[in-house]
Amino acid sequence: MVPISAYLILAAVLFGIGTVGVLISRNVIVMFMSIELMLNAANMVLIAFSRALSIADGHVIVFLVLTVAAAEAAVGLGLIIMIYRNRATINIDRFSLLKW
Amino acid sequence: MEFQLPEINLQLMAPEIFLFLWALAVMAFDVTTKRKSSSTAGNLALVGLAVTGVIMVFTDQGRGFGNMFFNDSMAVFFKVIFLAAAFMAIGSSFGLTHTRILNHRGEYFGLILLSTVGMMFLASSSELISLYIGLELTTIPLFVLAAFFKDDRKSVEAGIKYLVVGAFSSALLLYGLSFIYGLTGTTDIAQIRSILAHSAVAGFNPAYQESTPIMVMAVLAILGGIGFKLALPPFHQWVPDVYEGAPTPITAFLSVGSKAAGLVAFAKIMIMGLYDLYDPSKAPNDWGILVGVMAAAAMIVGNVLAIRQTNIKRMLAYSSIAHAGYVMVGMLALNSLGLASVGYYMFAYLFTNMGAFAIVALIEDRTGSCEIASYAGLSKTSPFLAISMTIFLLSLTGIPPLAGFFGKFYVFAAAIKMAETGSGLTWIYWLVGVGLVTSVFALYYYANVMRTMYFVETDSPLKVTMSPMAVAVIVIGVVGVVVFGLNPQPIVQFASDMPAALGALLP
Amino acid sequence: MEDLFLTIVTFFPLLGAVVLLFVPANQHSTIKGTSLIVAFVTMLFSFWIYNRFDPVASGMQFEVNLPWVQSLGIDYHLGIDGISLLLIVLTTVLTVLCVIAAWHSVTEGVKGFFISMLLLTTGMIGVFVSLDLFLFYVFWEVMLVPMYFLIGVWGGPRRVYAAIKFVLFTMFGSLLMLVALLYVYFEYQAFAGEYTFDLLKIMNMPLAYHPQLWLFGAFALAFAIKVPLFPFHTWLPDAHVQAPTVGSVILAGVLLKMGTYGFLRICMPLFPDATIAYMPYICILAIIAIIYGALVSMVQRDVKSLVAFSSVSHMGFVMLGMFSLNLQGVEGAVLQMINHGISTGALFLIVGMIYERRHTRMIEDFGGLAKVMPVFATFFMIVTLSSIGLPFTNGFVGEFLILLGAFKANTWYGVLASSGVILAACYMLWMYQRVVYGKVTNPKNQNLKDLSARERLVLIPLVVLIFWIGIYPSPFLNRIEPAAKQVLSHVGKASTVQLNESYEIVDVPVLGASSDDAEAALAELEGAGR
Repeated sequence: MVPISAYLILAAVLFGIGTVGVLISRNVIVMFMSIELMLNAANMVLIAFSRALSIADGHVIVFLVLTVAAAEAAVGLGLIIMIYRNRATINIDRFSLLKW
Repeated sequence: MEFQLPEINLQLMAPEIFLFLWALAVMAFDVTTKRKSSSTAGNLALVGLAVTGVIMVFTDQGRGFGNMFFNDSMAVFFKVIFLAAAFMAIGSSFGLTHTRILNHRGEYFGLILLSTVGMMFLASSSELISLYIGLELTTIPLFVLAAFFKDDRKSVEAGIKYLVVGAFSSALLLYGLSFIYGLTGTTDIAQIRSILAHSAVAGFNPAYQESTPIMVMAVLAILGGIGFKLALPPFHQWVPDVYEGAPTPITAFLSVGSKAAGLVAFAKIMIMGLYDLYDPSKAPNDWGILVGVMAAAAMIVGNVLAIRQTNIKRMLAYSSIAHAGYVMVGMLALNSLGLASVGYYMFAYLFTNMGAFAIVALIEDRTGSCEIASYAGLSKTSPFLAISMTIFLLSLTGIPPLAGFFGKFYVFAAAIKMAETGSGLTWIYWLVGVGLVTSVFALYYYANVMRTMYFVETDSPLKVTMSPMAVAVIVIGVVGVVVFGLNPQPIVQFASDMPAALGALLP
Repeated sequence: MEDLFLTIVTFFPLLGAVVLLFVPANQHSTIKGTSLIVAFVTMLFSFWIYNRFDPVASGMQFEVNLPWVQSLGIDYHLGIDGISLLLIVLTTVLTVLCVIAAWHSVTEGVKGFFISMLLLTTGMIGVFVSLDLFLFYVFWEVMLVPMYFLIGVWGGPRRVYAAIKFVLFTMFGSLLMLVALLYVYFEYQAFAGEYTFDLLKIMNMPLAYHPQLWLFGAFALAFAIKVPLFPFHTWLPDAHVQAPTVGSVILAGVLLKMGTYGFLRICMPLFPDATIAYMPYICILAIIAIIYGALVSMVQRDVKSLVAFSSVSHMGFVMLGMFSLNLQGVEGAVLQMINHGISTGALFLIVGMIYERRHTRMIEDFGGLAKVMPVFATFFMIVTLSSIGLPFTNGFVGEFLILLGAFKANTWYGVLASSGVILAACYMLWMYQRVVYGKVTNPKNQNLKDLSARERLVLIPLVVLIFWIGIYPSPFLNRIEPAAKQVLSHVGKASTVQLNESYEIVDVPVLGASSDDAEAALAELEGAGR
């Protein structure tokens, strides 16, 4: 049986990649994908623990989180399309009308 | 495992359900009627909020949905703040429906209502996941609202920035929460607390004992997530940009409603759930001092950077960072006064900031400018606005007998009490000291606006025509600030019930 | 009915300000008339209170005690003793005179000006009547706002700088006071199990020595900034010089007294051990202020800043008297507060009167005014002499008592402070001589009009008071005495308790005469059957 720590480490790696992605990427879509990665890392932790503790809560939570992530993505992509129409770019460095 | 059908107490959730349906109705109404009158959707939204308020009066307190939903006095207190904030934000949006929001009015108002529903759910959640969902329901509509001026590059930019930061912070928060769930085996906040309190019971969860580093990481992730929502440094950089770009009523709503929601989340997770990790005897290894440092940084960064601002929305953004710092001082005082002082502070801040932003919105509508310089001569052309703005600014500064002063006083009182009684908590004195010194800075930049309105001569003083709804919001703000400043007793009484809601948690 | 007296006298000006809000801004005469009536009626109320005040009784009179914020133990507690009584009367009288003085000099923003004036009056009286620390703080801060606007809107060329400096200085002090106040509040809760800001209750709480030092420091800083005690005086010249005449009169006449009043009402009774411990340092600062203020006055070329620096010197006397910690000193200090309000107020009014005529305040621009404006010169002479402290004027009585107290406390204090009196004579008389005597050198001074009836009306009451206090001070001293004894008995109690029981080894400086005096005062009080 795979120990729980393996799942947690994998989740941490995923989360780390996601965080770094958000922080260094200049492309809004890539940033957004990185955030999805972070959410899925959290999902992984939830499921790992849920399985290890044999409490079903975690599984249920993951469904809710997926839904929320979908809503976020829907709104986010909408906004990204809007700003692309406005500026013809999705490079976050160009969004400097407001001092970041 | 045995499955029990949880007790569903639908009646407890009546205000939320009603407001949710009403929000959908407002949106649908706009689509079907093809926007004949500019203010119908707004009026509908106001009616919805008022009815929700009435329903709340008749809603019992208690638990429902198998302990996922807990309508306690803290929830009620904050729901009042959320409803009032939404009411005032919608009221000050009426000017926009004639100028900049000609399409999709129903969506604009409906989304504000939806965000309010999210806040109300959040306030009632007694469990991590409903709390997380409440928080998401609060912020996702705000992403859209911040970017609501589709043709205004600044607004869209604000929306994108808010979206990235908001999504990032909620991912951080969720990651932290998932570990709390893993280490304690439950998502119920009260159970989390009792498990952490009796670590002997940790035999229940063998992972707990050797998991201190993981717990620390989880707490850090949660603090990061909530830190973003509350705009505590170092997670504050997004605030001025988003506040400046977003439509002004939405900025106001963000600064009051969203901030209060963040505070509720903080109180629920950190204080109700992770109270025992705030261990004064083990200071400075607890999260208390960490939050203390963040609060001090917020007061310093907010007040110092606000001095340099020339745009009033940016100035108020930095000032809101500073005020978050002051509130956190009260939050850290984990005594019977602490949470009540936070409640009072937010109540005072509600009237003050919503009123101030209503005036900013009026003037922006008129001149298209948010520069402080464009307020020159306001005292001559519109003494009503100048006096009201002065009252709000004085309240923000904390000059008695206005509500803002009493809020600050109450917060510092709670902190000093904590420092006096708790062992190893002398650092709270430093926090209070920072608060006091930065208050003097704050006086400087608020006085600068008053100076511009009263002392600076101008050739082209601006003339402002006021819509009755905007006047109503400003008057509500002024009356609230003055009346609850002179007679804080009812709110103090109302707020003092909150710590009791936390049960015997607090010393 | 008696309960209502203080509430009425405090809030009547506020009521007037609210009424003024509804008067259209262009009806200048209605606005001025209303404010005059309000100020006058307030003054009558204060006279009535003066009349009904029992000069013999010790303790607070006309007390009102109602709950305000019950859950936090904040009360609406008002009451006065002889010290506050005189300061209230001074405030109301000066307010009436200021309204008259501002009649023609204020042309822009008349409505705002008089509203600010009346708000200010409420704030000032409120400070003198509150016996609840929270209430005291509220009034203390409330008065900042109208003063900010008075200086900032109607002041001189550098008014904005002066206004902001004034507010920042005061605010810094008062925030420290807020913390100290909260500390005392929780200490009292630990001591008596009850939350209260009630000054009279907290006074009876024994506090350990070290907290006392800190708390005294925090309160004292707030008050010292207000007084202003050297070296916290730097805001004062700016504020005075830039403020409009009326603003300066109120500032010098009343606002500065709030600082010294705070020492008497809060610092000394609440922190007796600290009072004794700090006594020498404060006395030395006061002496520095006396001499420094006088020396700086001497080199001023602007009459108004001369008067402003002379305030630093005079308030130094008041501080020295208070911290002599004996009956003469404290009585003299309280009387000198009133005197300084009268004479410096009158000086600022006089400076305002010539400024209105010539639009300059430079000493060198004047000369020979005695020939052109004989009535003016006479009034100016009387006020100058009172400010110097010539016998038969009010200044003499106050300064004499203070010096007596100072000599009793420490001979050196007395000697050094006496030099201040001599210096005061130098700079005041020299200034007077350059302005009023000699030939009329500047042709612009040739045709100045003498004082109008209105201006005489403003100065006459002050001159009457100058001579009244100078010749027959006992009605005032009688009212001050019980209150002064009360304050000293609190200070004395602490020192005797500590010396006798020595429950804690503290290095109380040897006071010689002063602690004996306090004991005597205490014995006297107990003898009176208290």
